[in-house]
Amino acid sequence: MDAVHSCFKDKLGQAVLPGDVFSFAVSAVEDSAVRAEKVICGPGLRRNGDEILVCKSGILRHKAPNLYWIDSQQKRYVPVKGESVIGIVTAKSGDIFKVDVGSSEQASLSYLAFEGATKRNRPNVQVGDLVYSQFIIANKDMEPELVCIDSCGRANGMGVFGADGLLFKVSLGLVRRLLVPQSEIVKDLEKIFPFEMVVGMNGRVWVKAKTVQQTLIVANLLDSCENMTAQQRQTLFKRVAEGSL
Amino acid sequence: FVEERSGVGSVLREYGSEQNLLSKPDGSASFIQGDTSVLAGVYGPAEVKVSKEIYDRATLEVVIQPKVGMASVRERAREQCVRETCEAALLSTLHPRSSFTLVLQEVHDDGSLLSCCLNAACMALMDAGLPMGRLFCGVTCAIDAESQIITDPTAQQEKESRALMTFAIDSKDCSVMMSLTKGSFSVKELQQCIAVSQKASERIFQFYRDSVQRRYSKIL
Amino acid sequence: MIDDAGGTTLVRAGSDHAHSGHCFAAALRAPVRSHRLAVAALHRLALAGPTSSHGARRNSATEGLQKRVFTATRRVKMRETPLSNCERLFLLKAIEEKKRLDGRQAYDYRNIKITFGTDYGCCTVCLGKTRVLAQVSCELVPPKDSRPTEGIMFFNLELSSMASPGFQPSRQSELLVTLNRQLERCLRNSKCIDTESLCVVSGEKVWQIRVDVHVLNHDGNLMDAASIAAISALCHFRRPDVAIQGRDITVFSPEERDPVPLSIYHMPICVSFAFFQQGTYLLVDPCEKEELVMDGLLVIAMNKHREICSVQSSGGIMLLKDQVIRCSKIASVKVSEITELINKALENDRQVRKEGGKFGFAESIPKERITALKREQAPVEMKDIEETADEIVREAEAPSEAVHSPVIVATGTGQVGEGLQNTWGLEEEDAEEEFQGGMDGKEKKKDEVMVISDSEEEEVVILKPEAQKSKSRRPKN
Repeated sequence: MDAVHSCFKDKLGQAVLPGDVFSFAVSAVEDSAVRAEKVICGPGLRRNGDEILVCKSGILRHKAPNLYWIDSQQKRYVPVKGESVIGIVTAKSGDIFKVDVGSSEQASLSYLAFEGATKRNRPNVQVGDLVYSQFIIANKDMEPELVCIDSCGRANGMGVFGADGLLFKVSLGLVRRLLVPQSEIVKDLEKIFPFEMVVGMNGRVWVKAKTVQQTLIVANLLDSCENMTAQQRQTLFKRVAEGSL
Repeated sequence: FVEERSGVGSVLREYGSEQNLLSKPDGSASFIQGDTSVLAGVYGPAEVKVSKEIYDRATLEVVIQPKVGMASVRERAREQCVRETCEAALLSTLHPRSSFTLVLQEVHDDGSLLSCCLNAACMALMDAGLPMGRLFCGVTCAIDAESQIITDPTAQQEKESRALMTFAIDSKDCSVMMSLTKGSFSVKELQQCIAVSQKASERIFQFYRDSVQRRYSKIL
Repeated sequence: MIDDAGGTTLVRAGSDHAHSGHCFAAALRAPVRSHRLAVAALHRLALAGPTSSHGARRNSATEGLQKRVFTATRRVKMRETPLSNCERLFLLKAIEEKKRLDGRQAYDYRNIKITFGTDYGCCTVCLGKTRVLAQVSCELVPPKDSRPTEGIMFFNLELSSMASPGFQPSRQSELLVTLNRQLERCLRNSKCIDTESLCVVSGEKVWQIRVDVHVLNHDGNLMDAASIAAISALCHFRRPDVAIQGRDITVFSPEERDPVPLSIYHMPICVSFAFFQQGTYLLVDPCEKEELVMDGLLVIAMNKHREICSVQSSGGIMLLKDQVIRCSKIASVKVSEITELINKALENDRQVRKEGGKFGFAESIPKERITALKREQAPVEMKDIEETADEIVREAEAPSEAVHSPVIVATGTGQVGEGLQNTWGLEEEDAEEEFQGGMDGKEKKKDEVMVISDSEEEEVVILKPEAQKSKSRRPKN
């Protein structure tokens, strides 16, 4: 077991480049006590026979017991099944809506995939509306499909939203940092003033605060904490909080 | 027959790069070698026209824009070289029926333009997060009238050389991915230039690694 | 005159812009000296203000316009992210409260950064995130017949595909034509460059000055950035010195004699104003999101002597006379600030070049950013080169021998089956006989190549791969 993890250990937390290879010396000794290892490769790592190939530049991360992935900064979104995104409705054609999620293809959203929607009772969705939905089909060979209900048939926060408020785009890395369960950025922001926020995994963030000015402040702060260390961010937020009071 | 050749006088000019400097493209990088400077922008994976889509891989389009005048045959030839190198390096089967667009803008040409384009392209592709199987870099060698090998020649040196070669070297096993040569030279000189380029490419790959390390230093 | 009926037909299907459609450009041929004359001229352009009876009708017309325009935009610009209703409403609401997305005031410009390159005439302008590159070049050409004593100015603005996903290499884009026309109008018709001084031999040789502007990143207000880049590049440019002796023209290279700057009378700069809610609110230097929701655009080209060089209004909104005059006053303030900025940048560059310091884009890489890195000049190790190369050459296989008179199949003919053996029986013998005869005749010429094709004229030389050597040379149909 250690043979596998030791290959990764010295590069853990360091920047790796595409083309870096982690190869595991498969020992010739037939030891029945050694069980087959399972290493889960996350985004940015690909299996290439007996080796693991890095295909994106970023930092190698590890989560016990055997999950490894590359943490990279990217702007373009690639649909993944199960992720919740903010989409913009671009067309209504027949029974489906065409939704732009910022990927290479527009996703389709059936009008029946809303809570309480039937053939007679169509949901009230206009072209240009924002929808928060999740992918039910998302692979490289098929057109992605979205739904606004979960497996029990309830909306669970998904659907059309955002009559007021501001939508803006950030990088995917920042979005992941915002969605971490106890996100520090969100906690720091909450201390300044209350606001509503919807975060889509495709890099789109929607914010709404009490006034237009506060909404703009929140949006600009989120934009700027892309490349800041935690300390710089806290000093900036503190300065803004004092300024707005 | 063997010629006496001394290997001194071969330097890589001062080089530098900046990533993510444009807000609209998915990935962008500028690469500077001495006075030669190229700006690269990448979009992808994005929508592709039905007439151009390939069912099992991504379509890669490369556009090189000169600073003055319209693009001519020379730019098309360079685009072909860059495209072949990028297609060998990218894992385009992960995004079928999409398009990767790479746009290279020549900002200043003081020799070694094609290798500068290749380096800028590689950094931009890395910045955009496109899946790559290997990295590549470009090195230009010139053989001057005294049969000395000069790496990374300036425009003046290129004009006075009797042979000019550009190689794209890959990062996995330092092999040659693409070569474009002009002029006359012997087989031995060719192999020597390839060996020189491989040595120089190690330095450039180390530079890529340092850049990425520095870029992610605030999140570490 | 525009009436409301004309207003609703403003949208053409397939138009690129949400607001373009009716463009009326007033190009004043020469810079207008006094401000009062300018006012009179502008009064002719600006229409009488809207009356209340028109207001209500126009509101519904605009809404219908917007909805139709949204669908038209969507159909054409497939690759750009569409603007959602929520963004549009929020932007308009924010503008009503006099707030802009990046915290600017209504009349503020974004940060302008001007850098010059290594050779003369190369300039990059960053207006906020919008980035534009301009290059000036010159060559000697025969003059136009109608103007034998004047030089020629040629402007070319290109929207690079990297500037925005919506910019495709096709040449028919309306935005491209608009920008090119406005740039020409601003720089050529205002006579800011003394074209008479570009004449070398009257009627035979004049300088043609070519300005190429490349848009590298589109974050709104391309026109202003392009005009600043163009005029800075023209001020920075030096043309080769020329000596005329009778009919002999000697052009000196930069090493022989210092190049000469162009003679520039004044520096016209475009200032853009975006209008919202039928002209009620105006913003200077709109960013990209603001451009998507604006109703109309007014571009005023002016120089620091308060002379108006050109005015263009697009979008079909109706402006009040004093709105236009207010814009021209704002423009004169902005233009003098920007002109000072350009002069300071030119002065800095001149200083650095005089002192022999490093200049050019290489120096303008911001060293303190984590996304940028530089390395000094470094020697390349060449010690083991010869040995490695010799080894490779020795170990390589010997190249395949040149095959005399190779037989190849030219395009237009095909091979049947795998390998080179023809299995068609009868035809094989016939063909063999034919070719045996042919080969005998041709064997005398050693390097003759035998081509199997329908045409008798083709001569193609192809190197035969190694594997073929073992098989006999059989002609294939």
